[in-house]
Amino acid sequence: MRRLRITVAFATIFASLFGGMAAAYALGGWLESTWFKGASALSNLLMLMLVFVMVFATLLVMAERKWSALMQNRTGPNRARINLPGLRSRSLAGLPYLIADTVKMLAKESFTPKAANRFFYALAPILAFGPVFTLFAVIPAGPTIPVLGHEVAMVVANPNFGLLYIFALASLAVFGAALAGWASNNKFSLLGAIRACAQMISYEIALGLSLVGLMMAFASIQLAGPAGIMEQQSQYLWSAQLGGFDVGIPAWGILLQPVGFLLFFAAAFAETKRPPFDMTECESEIIGYFVEYSGMRFGMFMIAEFVEIIVFSGIITTLFLGGYHLPFGGEWFAKLAFFKEHPWVYGATMGMVFWLKVVVVTYIQMNIRWTFVRFRYDQIQKLGWKILIPLGIVNIFVTGALLLWDKNSLGLLGLIGLFEMAFILILMLSSPKSSLYKPLKAEPLPSHH
Amino acid sequence: MSHSENMSPSESENKKSAYDFWERLYVPELVKGLAITTGHFLRNLWSEHDKNPEVLDRKSRMVTVEYPEQCVPYPLGYRGIHRLVPREDGKPRCVACYMCATACPSQCIYIEAGEYPYDDEEAASRVIEKYPAVFVIDELRCIVCGLCVEACPKDAIRMDHAEPMGSIARQHTLPALERKPFIYAKERLLAGAPAVHESDPWQHRKASEEPVGIHKEAHTRIGESH
Repeated sequence: MRRLRITVAFATIFASLFGGMAAAYALGGWLESTWFKGASALSNLLMLMLVFVMVFATLLVMAERKWSALMQNRTGPNRARINLPGLRSRSLAGLPYLIADTVKMLAKESFTPKAANRFFYALAPILAFGPVFTLFAVIPAGPTIPVLGHEVAMVVANPNFGLLYIFALASLAVFGAALAGWASNNKFSLLGAIRACAQMISYEIALGLSLVGLMMAFASIQLAGPAGIMEQQSQYLWSAQLGGFDVGIPAWGILLQPVGFLLFFAAAFAETKRPPFDMTECESEIIGYFVEYSGMRFGMFMIAEFVEIIVFSGIITTLFLGGYHLPFGGEWFAKLAFFKEHPWVYGATMGMVFWLKVVVVTYIQMNIRWTFVRFRYDQIQKLGWKILIPLGIVNIFVTGALLLWDKNSLGLLGLIGLFEMAFILILMLSSPKSSLYKPLKAEPLPSHH
Repeated sequence: MSHSENMSPSESENKKSAYDFWERLYVPELVKGLAITTGHFLRNLWSEHDKNPEVLDRKSRMVTVEYPEQCVPYPLGYRGIHRLVPREDGKPRCVACYMCATACPSQCIYIEAGEYPYDDEEAASRVIEKYPAVFVIDELRCIVCGLCVEACPKDAIRMDHAEPMGSIARQHTLPALERKPFIYAKERLLAGAPAVHESDPWQHRKASEEPVGIHKEAHTRIGESH
């Protein structure tokens, strides 16, 4: 019975992703044909950013509670009910909590401390939310296909400086934290803001360095488009044809740059300021930079965190996991006669693949958040400065050397990448003992003389 | 003398690092940890949830007990609510000796003693002279220490697993929104199962050679036979 319910839930998710992307393509094509050329960017702004990203972020609030509950052998929140006949006795997977939370946020007093700088105090939540939200503008969520006789691209904007746009706007998010702490005129929120700034600034360096190898490998910093990083990942490193069905090892960023992937993942995780990097807030112990905020202003900080997760998942999917491309069978899939006749079905299917990858990466982020304890402050700085940044620099040099060695293809880079992944796998399987249940030993006390 | 010279070999080894090389690489251990949580996630997502209120007997790993609908059954030794133990004829075993009320540190027991009429037809009533005419326990004052149960010489007050009271939820003081329901009167306290002991004075009536009414309860001891 439960398996049936879960299967239906999964089918609903797949269907709604497919339907959402089909609607996005249809709206884009309709706007292109009735309004002006390039109007599909506006429909993408609406569909991808305001609908997909915001709905994902909202649902993630609930998903975090439910997923963490399942990881900890709990049921999770299921008490909020909708008082309508037929729904009264159903927990609806906890979804009524979203309504309850929103009503609570909006109904609470939005308090401003007397000594606060009112302008910056009001500006900080917007600055925390806005830059993160706009990051998604350069992420392509589906292929470019003809709809109603017009080419519709599933990306809001495709500047040739795509990655630089991401770096620039991602570093703006620190202003939100800094201003929130300073404008509250509270010592503790100022200290929290200082911690947040120190953490985010140190990880931005690692964030940048980790992607340099990828930029060199694909010789591009554009994300979408035929020369973009996403499209280049549809090619194979080595491939074979099995009766028209193409199999092989795709040139995904994670295979070419496993170290870069780990570094970027860690740095992006630190940028989201969530556990194990939540030294900035530490909900349960010390006070973070938004301690004075309440009501919807606090809600902005909270939803910004979830939007950040979705957006970074989208960036990771685009850069490292091949975007909307399938790992194999992509060429065979695109050549199917049915898809030639109905390109919107192809587009919506590929869009569904993209969003599913985003969900998986989001799950991994949630999984890390609910598995590991918080780093100490010195450990955060040590990880950033003494591990991630040197590793990033080494990665740049190794990638450069490999690309010079094998100038014509990405084969050598892929080979080394596979070797690195196999090395990590071997390390994992061969570690002599598991530390899972090892009792902690107390440090010996210094003796006094 | 420096600190390092003073350490034993095992201590200095310990000082060097608490983790070996494999663990300090961090990423493999990290993935192992993720595998454990993901295993729990998938198993709990996909498998049926056992709703057995006895959590330890569950087939699945879920530990949630959804409280108002489900209750964890209290253990047999749980002491959460008083009851006055009745005799088989329904009268209280209590002889209104005030020992429980005296022992009670929170003074939540109120007793007014009454006397059985001497010429009552019923022999069982006649061998015991006193009974509680009023017996009230204020459960809001009670600190559930159980001293009244220990003080009672007659096994007349208990905080036990009262089967005939029925449902599980009745083993602790039931919640209420006003004070009145927490004042337990004699009738309510007497609702449980009766208890009879061999040493009870009225048990010895029939076999005894003694005339009715002379055999006082003070002569009987637990386990004494006639």
